[in-house]
Amino acid sequence: MYKKVLAAVNEHLNSEVSARYALYLAKEANAGITFCSIAENGLADKGFRLAEEAVKRLSNRARELGVKADCVLETGTPLKQITKIVDAEGIDIVFAATRREDVEKRFFARTVARGLSLSLHCSVALVRVVNMGRIHPREILVPVKEHIDHIPERSYFASMLAKSFGSKIHLFHTTKPLKKFFHGETYLTPLEWERNIPPDISRFIGHLDQYNVEHEKRLASGMTGKSIAIEAAARRRDLIIMGASERGFFNLLLKGNPVEYVLRETPCNLIILRPEQ
Amino acid sequence: MKINNLTREDVFRTLVTSEQGLNEEEAKRRLAEFGRNEITRVKSRSLVLRLLGQFTHFLAILLWIASGLSFLSEYLHPGEGMFTLGAAIVAVIVINAIFTFIQEYRAEKALEALKKLLPFNVAVIRSEKEITSPAEFIVPGDLVRLAEGDKVPADLRLIEANGLKVNNASLTGESKPVLRRTEPAEGDPINSPNIAFAGTTIVSGNGLGVVYATGMRTEFGRIALLTGTVTPGLSPLQKQIVRATRVVAIIAAVIGLFFFALGFVIGRDFWNNFIFAIGITVALIPEGMLPTVTLALAMGSQRMAKRKALMKTLTSVETLGSVTVICTDKTGTLTQNKMAVAKLWFDDELIEPGAAMTGETSRLLLTTAALCNNARFAGDEYRGDPTETALLKAAHDALGAITAQRLFEVPFDADRKMMTTVNVMDNKTLAFSKGAMEKLLPLCSHILVNGKRLPLEDVNRDDVVHADHVLMDMGLRVLAFASKELESREMTGEAGERVEEDMTFLGLIALQDPPRPEVPEAIGKCHDAGIRIIMITGDGSRTAVAIARQIGLVHETPVIIDGPAFSLMTDQELTEKLAAPEIIFSRMTPKHKMRVVSLLKDNGEVVAVTGDGVNDAPALKKADIGISMGITGTDVAKEASVMVLLDDNFATIVNAVEEGRTVYENIKKFLTYIFASNIPEAVPYLAYILFPIPLPLTIMQILAVDLGTDMLPALALGSEKPTSGIMKQPPRKLNERLLDFPLMARAYLFLGPIEAIACMFGFFWVLRAGGWHWGTLLPARDLLYMQATTACLTAIIITQIANVFACRSYRESLFSIGFFTNRLIFAGIAVELLLQLFIVYHPWGNEIFSTAPISGGTWLMLAPFAVFLLFAEEARKLIVKKRVLV
Repeated sequence: MYKKVLAAVNEHLNSEVSARYALYLAKEANAGITFCSIAENGLADKGFRLAEEAVKRLSNRARELGVKADCVLETGTPLKQITKIVDAEGIDIVFAATRREDVEKRFFARTVARGLSLSLHCSVALVRVVNMGRIHPREILVPVKEHIDHIPERSYFASMLAKSFGSKIHLFHTTKPLKKFFHGETYLTPLEWERNIPPDISRFIGHLDQYNVEHEKRLASGMTGKSIAIEAAARRRDLIIMGASERGFFNLLLKGNPVEYVLRETPCNLIILRPEQ
Repeated sequence: MKINNLTREDVFRTLVTSEQGLNEEEAKRRLAEFGRNEITRVKSRSLVLRLLGQFTHFLAILLWIASGLSFLSEYLHPGEGMFTLGAAIVAVIVINAIFTFIQEYRAEKALEALKKLLPFNVAVIRSEKEITSPAEFIVPGDLVRLAEGDKVPADLRLIEANGLKVNNASLTGESKPVLRRTEPAEGDPINSPNIAFAGTTIVSGNGLGVVYATGMRTEFGRIALLTGTVTPGLSPLQKQIVRATRVVAIIAAVIGLFFFALGFVIGRDFWNNFIFAIGITVALIPEGMLPTVTLALAMGSQRMAKRKALMKTLTSVETLGSVTVICTDKTGTLTQNKMAVAKLWFDDELIEPGAAMTGETSRLLLTTAALCNNARFAGDEYRGDPTETALLKAAHDALGAITAQRLFEVPFDADRKMMTTVNVMDNKTLAFSKGAMEKLLPLCSHILVNGKRLPLEDVNRDDVVHADHVLMDMGLRVLAFASKELESREMTGEAGERVEEDMTFLGLIALQDPPRPEVPEAIGKCHDAGIRIIMITGDGSRTAVAIARQIGLVHETPVIIDGPAFSLMTDQELTEKLAAPEIIFSRMTPKHKMRVVSLLKDNGEVVAVTGDGVNDAPALKKADIGISMGITGTDVAKEASVMVLLDDNFATIVNAVEEGRTVYENIKKFLTYIFASNIPEAVPYLAYILFPIPLPLTIMQILAVDLGTDMLPALALGSEKPTSGIMKQPPRKLNERLLDFPLMARAYLFLGPIEAIACMFGFFWVLRAGGWHWGTLLPARDLLYMQATTACLTAIIITQIANVFACRSYRESLFSIGFFTNRLIFAGIAVELLLQLFIVYHPWGNEIFSTAPISGGTWLMLAPFAVFLLFAEEARKLIVKKRVLV
């Protein structure tokens, strides 16, 4: 599915860490990888040098892992340049790190992450790096909704990362409480859920089985974003892989966005996948 | 691969740092990316929104509607006192909202306590120079210098360690310092010896570590995140109140609509009809219910405090009563945490500690116990770890003071489960070791028997293992001891663990932490009350089971789950195991507790859990009732819990459960009392609509009952003592309704109608005596009319006095529970009567409530109704009791 992977690298450490995830995905998918550093006009030499060093380190690591890698070091507007490269090279997926200042903006308005997510004609994986101690994730938390789009790509992405690190996938689904006027909120028990797993989740599980990835599933109830953060913290998960939110503006405004919540509060590194549209 | 698996070089490479440390510019860049190293509150609803929430829940909305309708009524039909009613309802909403908000706000201080465990300043290497930096500014990749007494500021991968010992109590609950190393280690960072965690303390030595996680992403931050976000959800009482208010809302609305429709049928004009429909709807809403429930819970909380259980949130008072499972620690809660040597095993014999011990083996065994020991005898008391002080005391008692010069120590750590000290004694250099038998015995090549050093044969090993099992089956904690004479090359600390080879096995010492004397009875009460107790202990399974048998916790063969096995089990497997009637978790650490609590809750159990460490905080928050230890508990645990045991005693939990059950029973009692008065408040309206008579009871008079005279007697019912069988019943089912059919039927169909007859009798009695003729409508300020409504109100008050006695029990006769056993009832009645006298005879009372003084004869005419109600209730109780017995 992924034959060409691009990892955006800059002078910040988190971009290097997110590129490492891209590198391992490329290795498992037998894909080539491009480490791309676009220095914004006006960036000091020091910053450019740091990005260059990061790209070198990543290239060396790619060589050690036997992944075909090439580097692009340019100046310009990152969004424009990356879009150009993606279109020209036929890149399948781009990895970029989200910055802390992005996370603090509501709906990621006017951030590079949002720009990449909206404008690239390929899949985008936005990586939030918060913990440097869990280099190779062993326990990956994959929250799944009742209705999942792009199931083949999402399951492929999670499976490839899990296989490259030898990890186990923990599917996690949160249900809304069933509200009854006289009885208040009642919740599905895990057993009731198991008996009636939504079809999309079953299909997702079927794909994981095809890729021979070890997995288990868990049900919780409550607010989605908060439940994901609690699950990741309580069970010491090393990485969360989530789908990008596709809620409408008013829905976002009224109900909030679980992805935004997890981005802010995640106790471990987080990858948000926006599949190719 | 994780940070603890890496070599020193790989650590630098992964974190993109070096031995020179980061430079200021890079540190600044990383600070911008990773944020400050601090414990922050998880973004949640703002205080304003939370306060607003107290004004917008269902009952509050119901009361807002009621007050709105009252104001509308006042506007359409002034002079009926509807404005005062509306204002009073608003006051009820505001008081309730503020009270509940303060309760919730007070409960969230756990994070503040956590923050205090992090340091303010830290020694960091930046650009090859050691500087002192505020701890909040350190970033991943920083090199942090650690020295004795320091608090660790962030999660560090150690790259230098010189005798570095860390106290991980804040994370693991284990207060014994553990030795840290720098070599790569397998497994997860949490158990790795090359990691120093934020919030822990350096006990001795020094070292250097590279920061790999800061702030909320550290292990400590993980606890803070869970402590700040995990909530147990609505308490059973809160759920029942939600349901009850909805039931009441439906009843009130249906009756209001019924009267409205009835008025139309009879031919009343629209506005009059509308106003009285509002009036009757408002009359049926029990405005006093919420404040009374709140005050009853507050009184329950006070009673619990007297029994050494401090409740921090009011709703938890009742939740305790519905607890179905108690997950409890062993040491200090079920036992006294007063360790003492109970048995010694050496020379193939089991000896009591007081017995004469003159042989060489016993001398060396006790010398080892005294010297391989970090406890001290200072002044006139022993200081140190309870196990070590017990060993030191036993050695001193048998041998007197023992002097030796300590050269070095190979400290205890959780993996090795043993420690060794090397001492010079009588011009000999000796290594003394103590630890778990399974760890120490394999290091021994010889055994000392009757003072002779013999090769350790398989038969000797079998004897040692057998003795170990026998002692553990007695519920004792067993330690093995060994010694060795050293040669000169082994006399420095560099020899490390090599001194622990080829040792001579000396014997076993078994220690006992006696159970608290009151615990067996408390456990018996729990069994009778259908409450399961799950012991979660760090001790081995044999010791745990033996103690459990001693205190009556287990009778059959319990399911035993060991910590390591627990980690490997799936949720489904664990859920199946957790269904067992008798279950013990052994060799557990606090980090496992939250999973146990979550699974039990998923299974529909109402869970209480005990805890004292920082790492217990998430489980304490998750449980329906988190119970912390008042004496040994950390501030974090106390803040995260809803109940603090002032004496750390399990029996106190059981007493509190009894109080909790009593509170629920009492809430039902006063709800019956309150709801019964709704009928005599509604019937006058019905009569007014149906017949050509003046309105027998005004809205303000209804308010006088609901928010005035009823309040104190209702509260007095809230302080009824527990009934004898309360701890013999199984826990209340979660779906059991607060307002169930028997309660509603008793209030609305039995007690209420009697009161309604009384009030209508009083009304017509006064009217007839004043010369009133059927069908004559009287003006609102007419003296006869005001006296008649006053008689109607007085009838309600008089019958409510009898009702308060009737509601003291559901089945038991008033005469069997004792007429005078609740003195508060009499105080409540006294206040009720004083209020009524004010309303009837004081000019202000007359003005506010549109009443007029009535004669003493009228009171006497009404009194028989109260007597009738009381005896009718006695008859009902007799029938109900007989039916139950049949």
